[in-house]
Amino acid sequence: MASSSKLPQKRKQPDSNNILLKLSADERKLYELIESRKNVGIWTADMKRETGLPQTIVTKVLKSLQNKNLIKDVVNIHNKAKKIFMASKYEPSKEISGGLWYTPEGNLDILFINTLKDQCLRYVDRVKVATVETIWGFMKDLEVNEQKLFTVQPTTQQITEILDMLVLDKGLEVLKSSGTGDFARVAPGKVCYRRLKSHEDQTGALASIPCGVCPRISECTPDGIISPITCVYFNKWLGIDF
Amino acid sequence: MVAQQGLAHAETIVKSHFGEIVSKVVGCLLHRGSLALPEIVRFVRLPPPQVRSSLLVLIQHNCVQAFSIERPAAGLGGAIRNVTQYTALFYNILQRMRFTKFSAIVNADLGEQCEYLLDGLLQHGRLTFDQLAVRVTLKHPGGSSSVEQQVTIAAAVSHAERFCEIPDMGTNTIPNVKVTDHSPGVSVGDKRKRKAREVDNDGQATIAESEFLWRANFEKFVCCLKKKACVEHIKSRSGPNAGIVLEAMIESNHEQKAKDNNSVMSSMDDILEGVKVKPGGSSMTLENVRKILVEELGCRLSDEETEALHTINLKNIIETCQNDEVEALVVKRYGDEARRIFTLLAKKGIYENDQIHNAALLEKTKTEGILYKFWKDDYLDMKRAISSEDGRQKHNFLWKMNKSVISEHILNDMYHAAINLSQRATHMIEEDPELFAPYQNLPEAQRKLKIAQQTRWIVLLYSLSKIDDGLMLFLDF
Repeated sequence: MASSSKLPQKRKQPDSNNILLKLSADERKLYELIESRKNVGIWTADMKRETGLPQTIVTKVLKSLQNKNLIKDVVNIHNKAKKIFMASKYEPSKEISGGLWYTPEGNLDILFINTLKDQCLRYVDRVKVATVETIWGFMKDLEVNEQKLFTVQPTTQQITEILDMLVLDKGLEVLKSSGTGDFARVAPGKVCYRRLKSHEDQTGALASIPCGVCPRISECTPDGIISPITCVYFNKWLGIDF
Repeated sequence: MVAQQGLAHAETIVKSHFGEIVSKVVGCLLHRGSLALPEIVRFVRLPPPQVRSSLLVLIQHNCVQAFSIERPAAGLGGAIRNVTQYTALFYNILQRMRFTKFSAIVNADLGEQCEYLLDGLLQHGRLTFDQLAVRVTLKHPGGSSSVEQQVTIAAAVSHAERFCEIPDMGTNTIPNVKVTDHSPGVSVGDKRKRKAREVDNDGQATIAESEFLWRANFEKFVCCLKKKACVEHIKSRSGPNAGIVLEAMIESNHEQKAKDNNSVMSSMDDILEGVKVKPGGSSMTLENVRKILVEELGCRLSDEETEALHTINLKNIIETCQNDEVEALVVKRYGDEARRIFTLLAKKGIYENDQIHNAALLEKTKTEGILYKFWKDDYLDMKRAISSEDGRQKHNFLWKMNKSVISEHILNDMYHAAINLSQRATHMIEEDPELFAPYQNLPEAQRKLKIAQQTRWIVLLYSLSKIDDGLMLFLDF
């Protein structure tokens, strides 16, 4: 009869305390410092300052700890040149990694943002009035060539942030549902989003003439070297060869 | 305080309408404030009769106001004497750019005859009833028996209330000349009085002191233009039907007599009645109108004693128009991403760097670059904040938008642009005084050149008119 001891056993997780015992004094000192900073991590220069160890030792020890899989280096979006180390068991905080909108390399995921933005606008165009939940539901089932568009499903928080950004871009307007007409499918009083019309063809009076964007406007005087009579921007605008 | 470019713009308008000498006088008053005649003479360095004539022209055209103040006379043991001061009416001078717009309003609302009467008032500043009657006689010779009747109809009280004003006789026109006689530093004598009388004869002598003078009521015209701007904005944002409803609502406003002309209040019956007579409005149903009132115009329903009234505040629409104007400029100057940041900061509050780049979903360095440009151009106020974290000092920047400063900047730039456009247009006419002469007999190449030049001139004038709309948006509405 097969005894229970012969059944496949789950591999025992290495006990960090046991590993720590095997570390050298310098390694232990540095690891404890890094581990104490949890998900915020610590900069190498701060390590040197706080442990009092010389640069060469710190570099050597960090390499050794990384090889033992005890620590990892993470990219700080605020300063990519500033190398930060963190204990492997922690995930970097939003302040360090930038949160959901950043790639692991610490760059803003522009492609993801633009795709989400386009899909949100397309959906609102179709349904006229949408809420965060209805957009999220649409994104969840969104497929391109029978494949999910997003490998990682965007959260409602991400969709809210994208919608707020579109409101800032004047692509959408945020309002409360009246429960009637276009708003019939949204509960009265609920916050919803609608396309803002006539945004693209809007041209301001000052923005449509050269003076509105002229870098030399402060130096322009009726009888000066720069004047509306001799202005090259005016000539270009009026289609006069110069 | 009026921006420096604003004063220069007003001076340019006066120069193009009345010439160099009059513009010198008005420029002196605009830059130095209220002055007495001898002071103006001293500053502009022109002969006193020329200054006096210029002042009369400016008063006649409602560009300058004369008033009397008491001042201790020098060397008379502290005796008080009346002195006539002259002050430039900056906003009235700016209205001179809008005369064609005013005429168009009267033509659309009251017809061609009223437009002709108004044109008389705009051309001559202020006229008596008889002078108005003469204008109509000249326009329609042979119909003299009904002329008086026509003028009376055209200047009937209801219309007069809307578009005309009776100027204060106590300080203006002929009495001004008389008050001027008592100005200090000017010898009071027969010679002086005779000169004053000569000026009178140039165009004023026919006006008796007791007679009423009529002039255009600029305030009312600006109010009409404001409503027109609101309707146009709603049309472009929410479609032509929403524009029709707002127009009907404004025209049936229950609050027309109220001093605050921003609030519009109207009953559903009145709105429907107004909508039905508008072109394109006859097909609109009650349900359509109700939907537009609630969803597009965001009207509130207030219960009055007799009926439910729909209320809208035009100030909110004007604010949106102002924001659109500023944002269009921001997009053109700094790009689309900058507008995103600008819109965020336009909301009340103070923002940290991190808050801004997180909300705008932009790279931190890019955000900082845009903020720096805004700050450099005085669009934003910035404060450096120092916080302590883990015993270390952390520097951060706080940003706040200063809307009033931005409005001042935009206004100043608009004045400057208006000066530039009008100077360029004037230059084109000076270069080719026969720009608008018939060109049919010219050779093909010259004809093409002439058409191109005319188009350029029209573009300049059209842009000037648009800039003036922008000025009204920030200044008058």
